[in-house]
Amino acid sequence: MTQVKLKLKKQPNVPLEAESITPDNFAGKNINEIKGLIVYHGKEKEKIGDYFDVSGESSEINDLKIIIEGDLSNIKRIGEKMTSGEIIINGNVGMHVGNQMGGGKILINGNADDWAGAMLKGGELEITGDAGNYIGSAYRGYWKGMENGLIKVKGKVGHESMLWARSSKGAKKFPMLICGGAASFLGIHNHGGTIIVEGDVDRCAGADQAWGTIVIKGKVSRKLPSFKKMGEINEITLPNGDVIKGKFIEYSGDHATKKETNGRLYIAA
Amino acid sequence: MAVRKIKTVYDVVCPFCGTLCDDLEVDVVDNKITEVRNGCQIGTKKFFASNPSEHRYKTPLIKVNGSFKEASWDEALDKAADILVKAKRPLLYGFSSTECEAQSKGVELAEILGAILDNTASVCHGPTILAEQDVGVPTSTLGEYKNRADLVIFWGCNPVHAHPRHLSRYSEFVRGYFRKDGRNDRFIVVIDPRNTHTAQIADLFIQVNPSEDYGLLNAIRAILRGVELDEKEVAGVSMENIKELADKVKSCNFGVIFFGMGLTQSLAHHRNIDAAICLTRELNDHTKFLITPMRGHYNVTGANQVFTWITGYPFSIDFSRGYPRYNPGEFSSVELLLKDQVDASLMVSTDPASNFPAASVKNMFKHPLIAIEPHETPTSVNADIILPPAYAGIECEGTAYRMDSIPLRLRKVKDAPNGLLTDREILERLIEKVKEKKGE
Repeated sequence: MTQVKLKLKKQPNVPLEAESITPDNFAGKNINEIKGLIVYHGKEKEKIGDYFDVSGESSEINDLKIIIEGDLSNIKRIGEKMTSGEIIINGNVGMHVGNQMGGGKILINGNADDWAGAMLKGGELEITGDAGNYIGSAYRGYWKGMENGLIKVKGKVGHESMLWARSSKGAKKFPMLICGGAASFLGIHNHGGTIIVEGDVDRCAGADQAWGTIVIKGKVSRKLPSFKKMGEINEITLPNGDVIKGKFIEYSGDHATKKETNGRLYIAA
Repeated sequence: MAVRKIKTVYDVVCPFCGTLCDDLEVDVVDNKITEVRNGCQIGTKKFFASNPSEHRYKTPLIKVNGSFKEASWDEALDKAADILVKAKRPLLYGFSSTECEAQSKGVELAEILGAILDNTASVCHGPTILAEQDVGVPTSTLGEYKNRADLVIFWGCNPVHAHPRHLSRYSEFVRGYFRKDGRNDRFIVVIDPRNTHTAQIADLFIQVNPSEDYGLLNAIRAILRGVELDEKEVAGVSMENIKELADKVKSCNFGVIFFGMGLTQSLAHHRNIDAAICLTRELNDHTKFLITPMRGHYNVTGANQVFTWITGYPFSIDFSRGYPRYNPGEFSSVELLLKDQVDASLMVSTDPASNFPAASVKNMFKHPLIAIEPHETPTSVNADIILPPAYAGIECEGTAYRMDSIPLRLRKVKDAPNGLLTDREILERLIEKVKEKKGE
């Protein structure tokens, strides 16, 4: 596997939009060509070379790994719409990291800001720190959020994570979020997404869920009244076939959207 | 003794709140407003505030070494254009208390500058718009409610104080074509954490726990679907009362929900509206039901309309790429200022310094600030340049949109003092200056 290394050399004054940093754009280009790719600084067009030291060598997309060093919390849209290859970010990263990505892998050794992995269509996004609001969500006004792929967050995720997630059994697409904890409205308007939370969750989890599975291994600060208790179970089979063992209380819902629903919320007993 | 001539202007549209009453009568003597008839307390006050006073700016002002110096229009506009052209990420905010013609000029300026364009919906009914974009909205004009509604719900709003003539013109006391007996033909429900003056004259008051409206909406929706819930009480309201309310809303002929900032700006924000709209939609399985937001500023609806028909988006628009992009939470004023991502701002007929969080106001004052503002406000006194306009709707004509998106023509009742320019003229001249500096 070949590597391209980017090292941040100066902080932008206003957020930098760097959707050009993807394996798709770097593939087959030499270092000078990569340095010349465009990034947006406010209303001005600037170049990757203005902000990063670039080293290493590029190759075919499937064989390409991009490693980025530095505090990127003011840099947005890294890995946007990438389809293959790998990005490793050592540091915090700004909004929209890996949004609409279709394949490949992004690993963030730090925290991610809002809309990380928004409308993900495939691939894997891993965050070792916390994530902001709207992780794996639909953008404003869209009815299709995350459609496939996997997001893993070690820490907590923010509000309205996995908004409008959509799965498809026929096409074997099972969007999935695994996180350490979550703020309010986790999995709102869920249409088949799978969410597993290792820790606690704030109010209104699963609001307006039409179908889908939410597993909470910790506590819930306030459960919505429209979820009805079905009973206690010892193991959960997820839509993709995986099994989770442990004592859970099974609730059906959200009954505010449907009288009969196969939406499920499991909370540790 | 000199003869004082009274000029009376009839059918004046009141430029205060979103109700946009259009039946005011205003007396003017020597270019001073002496009497306003038919107006409410707050609307009348605005007309009188346009009279000359020590609070009103008479010429453009530029801050030099910490104190304001009078300047010519040309000098002030030139300096303002300079600031805006040099900024990397300027913010244009406000626009809700001015006429649509000025708003469209604001969009033009933002596009030329590659700026961020936002209006006050960002901090009031922005959540309403987000919810409408997510789930749509079944709505109607106020005249329809006046003539047909026999059940009116006020949720998280207090029109007795905020929209004083709404009740007598459209929603509670007024006699409609099918509601001949006025108040007696309507059942009024108020849902609010506080026992407001609107609640005190209602037929049914439901006191919900603060910030728990989402749970209540959620429970009503489930009950309407015939689901038996496990809970005995939701958001401080007993299950019997919720069932009673559900029966009531199902059995009316024509119902309407009016909601205010009690829903949009309490904990669940746009999700409250999302649920309220879904509830309204589902109620149409049983009867006729509609929903309308109680918009605050008289032309905030217009700002959303104008921005949408020009750019495609109602607020929080970024022009930095040359084309409009939309993302509240990323391009909305409060968030941008909190993160200190703006390096100059132009405030058009608004006072963010008294409404925004302190941390964001602090960041706003760190960078150059231009205020188009007729009065002394916390924002204007901290500005670097003040461009005083004529009062839209009092000293110049224009178009404004009522809360139900009905456009009405504002009237001019008197002349602006000192030949002050209107908001539209100021923005037009600013556009010319900016174009000059950019060499276009």
